[in-house]
Amino acid sequence: MRKQLGFHINSSICTGCKACQIACNDKNDLSVGLKWRKVVQYGSGSWLSHPVQPAVYTPNNVYAYTVSFACMHCENPICVEVCPTTAMYKRDDGVVLIDANKCIGCRYCEWACPYGEPQFNETVGKMTKCNFCEDLLAKGENPACVDACVMRAIEFGDLAELRSKLGTVTAVEPLPVANLTKPSVVVTPHKHSQVSGRGTGRILGLVQEA
Amino acid sequence: MNIREWALIAFTILAQMSVGSFIVLGIVHFFAARKAGSEESDRLSDRALLAIGPTLLLGLAASLLHLGNPFNAYLAVSNLGSSWLSWEVLSGVLFAAVGGVFALMQWRKFASFAIRNIIAVVAAAVGLVLVYSMSNVYMLRTQPAWNTVLTPISFYTTTLLLGVLAMGAAFVANYAYVQLKNPGCADVQCVLLRDALRWFAITSIVLLGVELVVVPLQIANVAAGTTYAAQASAELYGQNGLLLGVRLALVFLGAGILGVFIYQNALSAGHEKVMGALAYAAFALVLVSEVLGRFLFYATHARIGL
Amino acid sequence: MSENNFLTKALDETVLTRRSFLKWSAALGGAVALSGDFTPGLKKAEAAATAATESKWVPAACWHNCGGRCLIKAQVVDGTVTRVKTDDTHADSPDFPQQRGCARGRSQRTQALGADRLKYPMKRVGWAPGGGKKELRGKDQWVRISWDEALNIVASEFKRVKETYGNKAILSKNNNAFLAAYGGNMSIWGTTSSGAWPQPSKTMQATSGSWGESGNDRLDYRNAKLIVLWGSNPIWSSGGSPTYNYLQAKKAGAKFIFVDPFYNDSAMVLGDQWIPVRPSTDTALLMGIAYYMITNKLQDQAFLDKYTSGFDAEHMPKGADPKENFKDYVLGTYDGTPKTPEWASQICGTPPELIRSLAQEIATTKPMTILSTSSPARTYLGEQFAQAFLTVGWMTGNVGLPGAMVSDNQHSRGSYGGPALVRSGGTGVAAVPNPLFNQPTYFGPDPANKEWYGMVWDEVWDAVMTGKYTASVRGKLDCDIKLISHLGLGAALNQSTNLLRGIEAHRKVEFVVTSSSFFTTNAKYSDVVLPVTTMWEREGGTTSGNPEMLIWYSKVVEPLFEAKDDQWIETEIGKRLGLDMQKIYPISDKQMVFNQISGATVMKADASGYEPLVTITEADIKELGVTGKPQMGRIGIKEYKEKGVYQVARTPGDKFGFIAKAAFRADPEKNPLKTASGKLEIYCPALSKVIESYGWNKLSATPKYTPPVEGVEATFSDFKNKVKGDYPLQLYTIHYARRSHSTLDNIPWLREAFPQEFMINSMDAAARGIKHGDIVKVTSMHGSVIRPAFVTDRIIPGVTALGEGAWADLDELAGVDKAGATNTLNGGNPTGQGTQPYNSCVVQVEKYDKPLLPDYKWPQRIMLGKEA
Repeated sequence: MRKQLGFHINSSICTGCKACQIACNDKNDLSVGLKWRKVVQYGSGSWLSHPVQPAVYTPNNVYAYTVSFACMHCENPICVEVCPTTAMYKRDDGVVLIDANKCIGCRYCEWACPYGEPQFNETVGKMTKCNFCEDLLAKGENPACVDACVMRAIEFGDLAELRSKLGTVTAVEPLPVANLTKPSVVVTPHKHSQVSGRGTGRILGLVQEA
Repeated sequence: MNIREWALIAFTILAQMSVGSFIVLGIVHFFAARKAGSEESDRLSDRALLAIGPTLLLGLAASLLHLGNPFNAYLAVSNLGSSWLSWEVLSGVLFAAVGGVFALMQWRKFASFAIRNIIAVVAAAVGLVLVYSMSNVYMLRTQPAWNTVLTPISFYTTTLLLGVLAMGAAFVANYAYVQLKNPGCADVQCVLLRDALRWFAITSIVLLGVELVVVPLQIANVAAGTTYAAQASAELYGQNGLLLGVRLALVFLGAGILGVFIYQNALSAGHEKVMGALAYAAFALVLVSEVLGRFLFYATHARIGL
Repeated sequence: MSENNFLTKALDETVLTRRSFLKWSAALGGAVALSGDFTPGLKKAEAAATAATESKWVPAACWHNCGGRCLIKAQVVDGTVTRVKTDDTHADSPDFPQQRGCARGRSQRTQALGADRLKYPMKRVGWAPGGGKKELRGKDQWVRISWDEALNIVASEFKRVKETYGNKAILSKNNNAFLAAYGGNMSIWGTTSSGAWPQPSKTMQATSGSWGESGNDRLDYRNAKLIVLWGSNPIWSSGGSPTYNYLQAKKAGAKFIFVDPFYNDSAMVLGDQWIPVRPSTDTALLMGIAYYMITNKLQDQAFLDKYTSGFDAEHMPKGADPKENFKDYVLGTYDGTPKTPEWASQICGTPPELIRSLAQEIATTKPMTILSTSSPARTYLGEQFAQAFLTVGWMTGNVGLPGAMVSDNQHSRGSYGGPALVRSGGTGVAAVPNPLFNQPTYFGPDPANKEWYGMVWDEVWDAVMTGKYTASVRGKLDCDIKLISHLGLGAALNQSTNLLRGIEAHRKVEFVVTSSSFFTTNAKYSDVVLPVTTMWEREGGTTSGNPEMLIWYSKVVEPLFEAKDDQWIETEIGKRLGLDMQKIYPISDKQMVFNQISGATVMKADASGYEPLVTITEADIKELGVTGKPQMGRIGIKEYKEKGVYQVARTPGDKFGFIAKAAFRADPEKNPLKTASGKLEIYCPALSKVIESYGWNKLSATPKYTPPVEGVEATFSDFKNKVKGDYPLQLYTIHYARRSHSTLDNIPWLREAFPQEFMINSMDAAARGIKHGDIVKVTSMHGSVIRPAFVTDRIIPGVTALGEGAWADLDELAGVDKAGATNTLNGGNPTGQGTQPYNSCVVQVEKYDKPLLPDYKWPQRIMLGKEA
């Protein structure tokens, strides 16, 4: 396998605190509306009427967990595939980047990417996305999100090494099924994690649009 | 719905109407020439042909509006290897170019009839490729509402339906002009016009039938989908039910009921005025319906994932 | 990278750097709305280009009261800040963790350099001496004025009010030095954060008032087999390391049980079990647990007999009525009501099976750690929770042993117990006590003392309106407030209960002044607003979020626009009042910082005492231009300033381990507690006496459950037959991830990340036709707010929750607060020792018929103030 950088997301200890998201916003000067790293909350549950006690309910399999995700720098990146200008490209180390010289802002990648990662910057009329903090990588530093995590739930490294060390799970609900794009990620599932595409819960966070 | 999506609606509708018109015009021209000679045939269709060019250019211009950086639009043909969008842009430009060349040659009667015919056939073929590319642009594996053979079917249906009705309207307008400028040949033109509109009416009724099958299948497709995205699409169809109803009513009225009336009026001479009014009305109703249909196409899609 | 080349070009041509923005907007009188929109998604080319040569990382204050106070460093380039990072001063490990900041801390660049910073002093257009059009406060136009004019107005109003009505007509929550020297002011007091804990903790277990003494050392948590977190969501309410520390205990094998109305985000990761409970009813749940333990003989009777007083009739103090013992109350021996799990369940909503299993588990798992926060005690009659919690904890005998504790450690001491391992020195400037309210903050004013003048938070606005307030043993006293001062830190109007009444009060008085960095709720309802620097623009100082580290933050940027620091403002007002401010602030800012640093001490390696932290040479002192003496310490002053943090490295088994109450446990005769009996007092007459003397309600010396005002019982018109009333749902207010109390509510990034959602159980939502994301109107007896509904099964049915601290944004025509400030809903129900019962509130919820834009899309409160 050729070199591929990837993230490890430990959902089992992710508290959904969004320090990673804000650190990413700060590092990359993202104004509201753009989020290269996001945290999604998933869960389910119900309540059963107590057989004896009136107005008392017993929680029935109430659970929730969160997954932090950014660009998956996929092995089979649909954004690169559909980009008409080749602005979207995969670097030798597997990082998917945008050549802003070429991007025409057609937003086709936005329609295609199942992670909602390429996002349109209204100010410059071009797409933007997680670049793995390539400037920090070049200086030998870690991506901003990795160093931000207060639970130490985000790591990065050579994907093959991450997989041999941490397993091969690449998707849990509500992440899309992995075969769409082959994301370069290792997920440590939460104890309540559901299998992608076959979950019984729903995304709990409020959609911030109106 | 924002400017970007209106731009896409305008582009796809206008481009498909152009392709459809061009093809319909070619077929009509072929049969008219056999029946009444190339001069009368040209007289029937040349002015309509010239209307296609601006329509297409308008569509292409609209497509630029959805770009964040339209000045680099030429780069969009760089990824023919894997991007259908590149194919769409390329075939759109080629269709405009070859069609434009043909129109110019036809208008000025450059080169022989046969050579012009070959170029027309090439342009029509490129037009069909354009509609095919357009369909494939939407057939993304992450877009369950679009990723179905129903997308190209509906696109081709729109292409032909708007093609015949646009040309119907154009022919009626052309006939009025010919009556005014060249009353000597009005009788021949009248026959040709009535022949064409009869066939247009039949075609549009058939295409209406296709649409009445395809639209429910599109809904059934997402309703039967297992992904959240498909379910979300189905829900969006539900939320847009009223619009969907209006869209279907309009196309039924325009292509169906008015189609029947057009056909009846086209059977015998003397009803040209009514027939003409009906042709305009049918085109207008179906155009609105198709715009609504395309609006729904964009409003009801939902991507797999986050 | 070609991407960067493009960006460099594009940005050079089209985009202002922040530095030039500041200059530019200053030149224009700030007439530009940047809305935090600085080249979104794209690196600032100019900053990036110079970063390699001129950038500097400055330790920046993370001064908010979130419980964390972690290490944040700001990258300063050409006088502006390009990004922040967190602790990377040492390798990270669970024993010696980096002090990593949370989302709030990471967002501060857009706070300190926010477009919505107040830029210059402003005056309300309709103001005139004596108030002018007072009813326009909160709605009026603002006009920019000079500092001189602003200070003259403020000083003359203080003078006028003092001379006409006396000092007691001046109301201020803060103890401003100039005001103290000017004769003092009527104060605002209350326990706010600590709920009803201070007095029970003091009288029942002799706490001295310093947080941390009731909990064991951080590394000792790993010895616990079971950890119960009661009303605790540290990932939201204790920024920084606590949740990570708890995770280490979990990895070491501890089982975690969360008792909470909400299956919270900490429970999501740490929790092995969730026990749902209705707010304001934890006491009943604890009684049910006690009943199960007693009837199954699971209590540690030997421990109770030896170390506690008042558990049963045999162990009541002399002179007390033996019938008042706890055990007989629980069994219902005299009141005829056994506090069975079924009885408890009817009140607290917890299924009896879960009450039993929880009781079984905490009684039989050893060592067990049971921790609460103030949240369950931030209720009407909250003292009864503290009483019951301590008592049930003590019944398990988990006191003074490794892995065992019964503690209210929370906030900055969540997961940390024991004395500080590193401490700051003082500034060298003594606080000037308010002569009208020289009382401790933590335990609150002494109710027996008749020489203080202050109003409790819950009563203050009513007092301004009615002219009466409760003054402990003195009963009701008259008052006549003419001036409200919000000079200095704080958010009195937004953060005290009964906010709408507070607005009325602000519209009644003759003068209101606020100093702030933003157009806060305080500022909005004022007459004069003074722009204050943030901590990033000040000389520096020390701060700490836990006992193991001390942060030294420095100045990051020069003051923005015309903002001045609090000390300058106080000095200028004081001078105008004829006060000798040189006496109050005799030394420079620089010297104050130096004093904190040179006076900092660190625990010796053998834990035998403290030694100086910082090495300072004669040359250092000379270079800094301060007075001081050279000293030897652990870290050089320059290295410390650059690193910004000194953290004591920990290893398991080091000498810093601390077990709370270990000496007492080892020998209670030799090491008695400083309680009346020398023991842990389950039956505590001192507590009963002190609470009653505050003047609001009685409290039994024995832990008991009495229905609170606006508790679950109030949601029913007929509790016995379970018929719901006009306000059928309970509301409790939570520490929310977006903010630290009200601070940082204005940050668009945080608003986007945390939408100030209103949580409601899916059954309650369905009954009202409310869907996830619908805008709902929440109405209490005191006000209404509108918010998007977060429909979830993560909250117990019948209960709703809303994050506290949103900046009220009233639509006075519609009669709703669009921001969802919880104090719009929380009424003033004074109780106990001056506790704010934020978690005792009943509401009705309905679908709202108008849309509401997500608040991150709201325009920022950018106050320009047209020129005078």
